[in-house]
Order: sequence, then C-alpha cells, then structure tokens
Amino acid sequence: MGHELIVLMFTWEFPPRIIGGISPHVYYLSKNLAKTGTKIYVVTCDFPGAPKYEVIDGVEVFRIDSYKNPSPDFATWVYLMNVNMQKEAAALVNSLDEPVDIFHAHDWLVATASIGLKHVFRRPLIATIHSTEIGRRNGIHLDYEKMIHETEAWLSYEAWRVICCSNYMVSHVQWAFGLPADKMRMIPNGVEVEPYTKYKHEELSSFRSKFALPDEKIVLFVGRLVYEKGIHILVNAMPKVLEKVNAKFVIVGNGYMKEQLSNIINHRGLAKKVIFTGFVDDETLKKLQICADVSVVPSLFEPFGIVALEAMAAKSPVVVSDTGGLSEIVEHNVTGVKVYPDNSDSLAWGIIRVLTDGMYARLLRDNAYKNIRKKYDWNIIAQHTKIVYEDVLREYSRSFWA
Amino acid sequence: MVLFDWTWNNKGLRAFYVVKRMRTIILSWEYPPRIVGELAEYVKKLSLQLAKNTVDVYIVTYHDYLTGVSSDLEGIKIFRVTNPVRTHIGVLTWVLTLNQEVERATANIYYSNNKQIDLMDAHDWHFIPAAITIKKALDIPFIYSVESLEEHRSHGANSPFNMAIKSIEWLGMYEAEKLIVKSEWMRDEVLRLYRVPLEKMKVIQPKSAGWIKEILETYNSLKRSIPQHGS
Repeated sequence: MGHELIVLMFTWEFPPRIIGGISPHVYYLSKNLAKTGTKIYVVTCDFPGAPKYEVIDGVEVFRIDSYKNPSPDFATWVYLMNVNMQKEAAALVNSLDEPVDIFHAHDWLVATASIGLKHVFRRPLIATIHSTEIGRRNGIHLDYEKMIHETEAWLSYEAWRVICCSNYMVSHVQWAFGLPADKMRMIPNGVEVEPYTKYKHEELSSFRSKFALPDEKIVLFVGRLVYEKGIHILVNAMPKVLEKVNAKFVIVGNGYMKEQLSNIINHRGLAKKVIFTGFVDDETLKKLQICADVSVVPSLFEPFGIVALEAMAAKSPVVVSDTGGLSEIVEHNVTGVKVYPDNSDSLAWGIIRVLTDGMYARLLRDNAYKNIRKKYDWNIIAQHTKIVYEDVLREYSRSFWA
Repeated sequence: MVLFDWTWNNKGLRAFYVVKRMRTIILSWEYPPRIVGELAEYVKKLSLQLAKNTVDVYIVTYHDYLTGVSSDLEGIKIFRVTNPVRTHIGVLTWVLTLNQEVERATANIYYSNNKQIDLMDAHDWHFIPAAITIKKALDIPFIYSVESLEEHRSHGANSPFNMAIKSIEWLGMYEAEKLIVKSEWMRDEVLRLYRVPLEKMKVIQPKSAGWIKEILETYNSLKRSIPQHGS
C-alpha cells in the first residue's frame, strides 16, 4: 500500500460513554492501531460534556447527535440514531482528502449506518460481532428479538470479514448466521495492565474500609444486572459461602434485575453482607478490583469475558463459570477456578476454595497476571487486526469495486 | 441542456453541440404494480412525462419479491429492492432498514452512469434518510416532493413513533434543495408545522396545465445551483 491505511470505525459507545465492553474495546483497539501507522476515524454517539470532535492519541473521534427525542423502544432508537450517524459519517468521508480504505463496524448497533456507507462509497466493510441477540436472550422468542437477530445476520452477510473475540464466539456466530468458516477471524480482546499499577494494594486500606470490615473478604461482581450475567446464581450462592467464610459481596453495575435481587437479599437477611454500588467511575472500579479477594464472573452467556481479564490485571484471583469465552481465558487450577454454569453450589465451592486457601489464591493470580501480559496485549491485537485489514484490501483490489 | 464540445477528425478540430440529457433518480416507496395510495400512479405519470421530455429517469422503489432491475416500454428504468430484515415491529423500523438497500440501488445507478446524476426527487418521508446520505456522500442534490404529512396522517398524534416520523420529515425539509408541494394548502401546512421558508417551496398542482413544464423548470433550477461532481 502506497499510503497510510485509513479506517473509519463505527461504534455506539466510546469513552467517556461506557455502556458495555465495546467502548473500551474500540478505545484500546483504535489507540493501538494508530501506533501501527493506521489512520483511525471513530464515529460514535455524543455524550454530555464530551466534545463533538477531539483527537485522542492520534485517533480522530467524531461524536454525532444520537437522536435524543423519546423513542418507541430501544431498537427503534438504534435505527434512528443510525440515520444521523450515517448522515454525518457520509459528510465526513466526503470531506477527507484521501478515500477511506475500510469501514469497521462493532455490533448491530451501527449496522445500518455502516452497511449503507459501504455501498455508497463502495469500500469494504469489516464487522466485529461482540455479542448476539440469540445468545443474550438464550433463543429468539419475540418479533422484536427476531428483528435484531436478522439485523445482525444482515451485518455479518454484508461484512467482508467477521471478527470475533473468542473461538467460542466464532463458532456461535457461524452457527447463528450460517457463515462460512473462511469469513471468520478470531482476535481476542485485550487488557491494559498499566492503569492498575498506579495503585498499591497496601495503600488502599481506607478505600477498602468503605466497602468491607477488615475481617471480611471482598467478593466482587462487576457487570450489568441482567439474566445473562448470572448475578442471580451468585445471590443464591451467598448463604453457602457465608456458612464457611466471613465475606462481603460487592455488586457493581445496574440492570433490570436490581430491584428483584435486592428484595431476595433483604428477604434472606443478607442485606448487611451485600453492597450494590450501581455504576461506579473508572478509578473506583479499578481500586475495587485490586481490593477484591476474589472476582466472580458467573455468566450464563459470555462472548468473551473482559471482566475476568481486568480482574487478572488487577491481580485478583478469579472464579468463572465454564462457558463461552471464559472457558478459553481461564485454565482451571492454573489461572483461575472454573465452576459449572448455572449452578450456585458449584459457584459457592469455587469462591470458598479461593477464599480459604491463601497460597492457592496467590498462585492463581500470579499465573494469570503472567498469562495476560503474554496473550492479551493490545499491541499484538492491533497488529492482528491490521493484518485482517491488509488481507481484505488485497482481495478488494481485485474486485470490480476497486 | 445544450453544451459545446470539440473533437479532432480527418478535417481537423471541429466544434459541435451536444444535448446533454438530464438524469434523475426518483425515490418512491410505491410504484406500479405496488400501489398503496395515490403516490404510485402519480410517480408513474411523472416519470412518463419526464421521459417524453428527454429526461433519463431511474426509479428506486420497493417490492417484496419482484426485485432487481427492469425497464418499461418508455425507457424508464426501475430498481426494486426488498427489505433484508424480514421481521419488524412496525412501519418505522421497516423503513429504517429498507433505506440501506435504497442507497445501494442509488449508488449502483450513480457508478454505472459514470457518476453523472443531476438530482434525486424523493417522494414523501420513507426514503429521506437515503436521499440525505447520498447527498452528503456523492454531492447529488435532492428535491423533497410532499404528498402528505405525518401530522395529517396521524391526526395530530404526538407519540414517540409519530415524532420520529416527523423528525425525518423535518430533516428532509432541512436538507432538501427544494420542496415541491401539490397545493397552496399544503404549502401553508408545511410552513405552519416545519417553518420552511416560502422561497424554498414550489407549489405545482398535478392537475394544472403547465404541470410538467414547472416540474422541469424546478429540476433545471437545481441543476445549475450545484456543481457537477467528477465532471
């Protein structure tokens, strides 16, 4: 390629707008791609206080008007937001001196904007599928869900390559949308270790005391309080854990199950042992992850499981359910503990195991820390992504669109 | 439109004129054989008259299964697209996932005509998102031809669903070079509801004698105001 590779990324979330895992994923991916000499434009939704345009570590970020009128439902809002996103991205591409080489879309939330621009500018589209409706809902039951499922299928159909973050997701996406194997690429998610090295475990005792008594072990859950994240499995495991260990359960995140869960907790007389923090800022989250005596990821459906990697980066031992991407991240008894999914007895066993054996916990977290630095480094992930871009452009140059 | 051009032949340099035909893309969610309301017949009549007046007419429209390119006896080319998302919860989501196929068809017309398209004429709100994207991306101006408004169709309802359609109508009126409305009453309603400047609107009554002449004048006025892309 004679010139610098130019990529336009579509994402519905980008820091400071953080809803799920796509936001940090696109942030670190684009930042590290920029280091490889790839020019990245990010087109994303606006956020209160964030500028319409800014340059972050060489990445040019454009925040569009994300349709702030009331919407009949979430999916309709997504499609309406995409009208604005497509309009503004079209003007942006048209205003650049050099043509954009590749459009890169993250999940169905930006499907319509990216598919339209692919055809209008006749440039290749690459899609990263982070998650699927059929996985999130454990099946397709309603027309609303089917519509989203079909939109995901359409995006994967229009994409030149489909990237997934785990081998599990590659096979899941192939099955869900009937895609050929040679269209798929597995590139794992990454984690940055540096932000965690700012804080020392010993210096966090006053921070820790805000959440737990000195003799209470901290069991940390980070995630949306929704069915697929398996938070209800953890709630069911709580009494069993408390029989053996004096622990405090810290639940970070929000979701539709919150009220129901706190009712169950109050009813069982566990209120003193559980803290719901809601959504917390980045610094608090990192400190909590460092203070956690065990980090629990009891998901029923987990495409990747970035939370487990973050816990490993924070040197907290992890207990995960043996499902999806988590199965690939954790090696049982080496880098963490795997328990049976959807099984609170098994989960309680795993938590107790880690909390009652200090030597074992230390071994797990040291192994895990070494492993993530080797396998989940964003520099390496960015280079793998760039290879996908270059392969696609080589094939594209022989197509009639070129 | 008359243009001067020149060429070399065995007698040396020769200047001559060429008549450059206007090329327009009409976006309409209904076109025969698919007839929902009055728009289908109107767009058919409009394209026939345009074709008679040396305008190259391309229709981009929807049909559930009669998809692809066809051409009728008068030389009008019709691109019918369907919705890749088969399951929907209402007309709004249906429209919003159909627009990408409209964009694909419109872009195909643009690229196969050496990027020479003079303008688009979008009828009602359904394909406004596509018209706006094509305008921004490929510098093709568009006219918004108003057949009806959500305010009247829904009898003034203001649910989030109606507001979304109204916001698309507003966006179309904002981004269009010009609005063609079919009566003075409609012009006043557009002014009342969306505050579109009067000089941006042209009242052309379909039953009036000079109807097609006025349409052609409006098309031509647009062509001159926008520099040709890639020419």
